[in-house]
Amino acid sequence: MNCKDCADKLDRYVDRELNNTEVLEISLHLEGCPDCQDHYEFQNHLKRLVKHSCECDTAPPAFREKLRQILS
Amino acid sequence: MRGLSEREAGLTTLALLMAEPAAQTSFAEEALSHLDTLYRGALRLTRDPDAAQDLVQEAYLRALRYQHSYQAGTNMKAWLFAIMRNLFWDRFKGSRKEDVSLDDVGEFVLYEKLRDEGARPEADVLDKLAASEVVTAVEKLPPLHREVVLLVDVEGFSYKDAAQTLGVPIGTVMSRLHRARQQLQRSLYDYAVESGIVHAGGTKEATQQ
Repeated sequence: MNCKDCADKLDRYVDRELNNTEVLEISLHLEGCPDCQDHYEFQNHLKRLVKHSCECDTAPPAFREKLRQILS
Repeated sequence: MRGLSEREAGLTTLALLMAEPAAQTSFAEEALSHLDTLYRGALRLTRDPDAAQDLVQEAYLRALRYQHSYQAGTNMKAWLFAIMRNLFWDRFKGSRKEDVSLDDVGEFVLYEKLRDEGARPEADVLDKLAASEVVTAVEKLPPLHREVVLLVDVEGFSYKDAAQTLGVPIGTVMSRLHRARQQLQRSLYDYAVESGIVHAGGTKEATQQ
């Protein structure tokens, strides 16, 4: 695997959508390639940032209670 | 014998009467356990708290009405999200026009852009981005692309579950996600430049050195 192959599969690696063989190939490449390892950590960090930023919003308690009454 | 039969019949009727509300309560409880996911999704899609509450309420009422079509043991979160986003699209059909724009988005890899400019992408940029700016960047995405990011990145859906929820092939999920991420990274880069976190052509730190 070269750096381009790794970059092409990086999103699916971060999203845990690759099969075991592909995961192994990427992992081995990352171990020996600091640039791709940095890129992987950046993409992973970005994904977590999006998740945590958007997760801050939760349903207001009054709305939850209103729905509970409607649904019961 | 007749009396016993009547008693049995009575018990059966009672059981049926009791079972239905109990089943409904159980369904409602499980459905409500996914409320935050639905509310967040609706909030990001409508970008308006009142509209989000209306949308979610209507989605729950529809879910209750069609609960017989939900197969117990399957992914209720995905089922509810599908109901909610279908209602959203019923209401905002015109919004689909916005989605043409991302077809023309060129390749943009934030990591490479920042590294080429001499920044340390994680330490200099990601660590300095405020959550509110990330949310703004997500909300700027066209809705068809935004909903894929919400499902995969925020709610942790697999591509397969996202595809089923959205009623599209997995390949479509992947291509929308790819374009969405390119656009998201471009927005975050623009914000980083505007707010002085990085300087186009070189980071603050690199410029000062």
